Amino acid sequence: MHLPQMGYDRAITVFSPDGRLFQVEYAREAVKRGATAIGIKCRDGVILIADKRVGSKLLEADTIEKIYKIDEHICAATSGLVADARVLIDRARIEAQINRLTYDETITVKELAKRICDFKQQYTQYGGVRPFGVSLLIAGVDEVPKLYETDPSGALLEYKATAIGMGRNTVVEYFEKEYSPDMGFDEALILGLVAMGKAIESEISADNLEVGYVKVEDRQFRDMSAEELAPYVDKANEKIREELKK
Amino acid sequence: MPKKESAEVKYLILRPLGYPLKASYHEYPQVDNPKVFDVYAKEQWKGEFVHKSKLIFDVRMFPDFAFEVVECEPQSGYISDATIILVESDSKIIETEIVRDISLDDVVGQEEAKKKAKVILEYLKNPDKFGKWAPKNVLFFGPPGTGKTMMAKALSNEAKTPFLSVKSTKLIGEHVGDGARKVHELYDRARQLAPCIVFLDEFDAIGLDRSYQEIRGDVSEIVNALLTELDGIQSNDGICTIAATNRVELLDSSIRSRFEEEIEFTLPSFEERLEILKKNLGEFPVEVKARLELVAAASEGFSGRDIVEKVIKSSLHRAIAEGKNRIETEDLLSAAEKVKMPSRQPPKQMFV
Repeated sequence: MHLPQMGYDRAITVFSPDGRLFQVEYAREAVKRGATAIGIKCRDGVILIADKRVGSKLLEADTIEKIYKIDEHICAATSGLVADARVLIDRARIEAQINRLTYDETITVKELAKRICDFKQQYTQYGGVRPFGVSLLIAGVDEVPKLYETDPSGALLEYKATAIGMGRNTVVEYFEKEYSPDMGFDEALILGLVAMGKAIESEISADNLEVGYVKVEDRQFRDMSAEELAPYVDKANEKIREELKK
Repeated sequence: MPKKESAEVKYLILRPLGYPLKASYHEYPQVDNPKVFDVYAKEQWKGEFVHKSKLIFDVRMFPDFAFEVVECEPQSGYISDATIILVESDSKIIETEIVRDISLDDVVGQEEAKKKAKVILEYLKNPDKFGKWAPKNVLFFGPPGTGKTMMAKALSNEAKTPFLSVKSTKLIGEHVGDGARKVHELYDRARQLAPCIVFLDEFDAIGLDRSYQEIRGDVSEIVNALLTELDGIQSNDGICTIAATNRVELLDSSIRSRFEEEIEFTLPSFEERLEILKKNLGEFPVEVKARLELVAAASEGFSGRDIVEKVIKSSLHRAIAEGKNRIETEDLLSAAEKVKMPSRQPPKQMFV
């Protein structure tokens, strides 16, 4: 929880005397309320894994979307405010199309991430608006796999493997121990699933997960169906059981 | 076991009552120096048989000024040289209580706090052993009703040392400057009684972050007073301060740094809830025929106090009101259902 900062947290465009922008920091708290999304690079491509919380039996499960296709070779996972996420995803898709129309070539992952961050940054510097309460993991393949994380301030960082949302710290801690960049696709996916299990502190099930990936060989975004995912989930659950016992 | 009549009183707590008759010229005497008073009191009252609620009269400086015995350990006996005589202070900021009915075993769960409690008990028994590594300031925090105050009471009970229990709100003064003075008074008293435990309940009332200075004008002075006392410019040997709060994030960062250990009190797990239910339904005015496992499962997220006060007590009261002489699973479950508070979390569908 934050203390009232003597009014410096009322307007986003006012710095506190020690140089902080509290509204932007609070927006990062909104990201922590989102379910965990994990991004992981491997030799063969890049993978996004998202935890879908289906709160009610009455809900159509596919209405909860965490991983979106942005262009043929780029996808993004979101965590934080749903409504803000949708707006950013639309923006990202438009930016990808603008690049195609203007230059007749596909946008690079880095360029797209930059455009999104430029957009987010605007919402931290002008009055009358509020920052986006959402972080994005932007993943895709240019020549090599790329994975970027954007945060509400508009900061942009490239990672080998990272996570956003509620379970971020747990996942990052696990990756720091276990990740190695020369993993193959299967190995990386299972590592990501185990990290997800640690984050939600229980075994995982294919129905509550969304997995999307882009491989270097064809530079095509694909999402995994529950059936495709099931064997990986089984393998991961064995490890999760071990990890949870610790 | 010595005979009751020959028992010496270990602790005696007196409350100044006043004179039998009132006249305008009577002064109201107050204890000036507890050390001197101790000798003074024993000289005139040594050998006096006392029990709870007995009145004893001053015979020397203020003849016929009455004191009432409010606490006595054991229940009755003679005042001897070893008796510790405490006089309730007039302002009643400081409540010196000896709680007899709670032991550490009554607190369910909270293992970490219990471990620390054992260290503190060991220290109070044997202060020399620790030297400069003595436990001094401990912070209990956690949601309401998880046993912070109960833990402190149990500690004071088992320690058999004076236990200065202070409601922090009483340390807030009427005028600017009062707060700091009251904090210093408290520690002056603690130094006279050492070894002892100072327990500050609802600590966020005085340990508030100093950025609140603008809202409440006395925050800085109280915090500064506390800082000097907790750190001990004067030696605080034998004083162990325990502070309890359920809003730890409001505390001033420099105050928090004075606490060598911050112990979190957590909401009880399923097994702990079951134990709380069993413990409290052990001696019960009406017959209980309930599957407590079900009740424990239904009270997920409840604190210990919720279970005792809102589930058990309210179902007992209902049973009495309805003239039943037995409580069943259903009664406890419906009481638990009523407690379930609306979640303070924001709507889930806003976040993915």
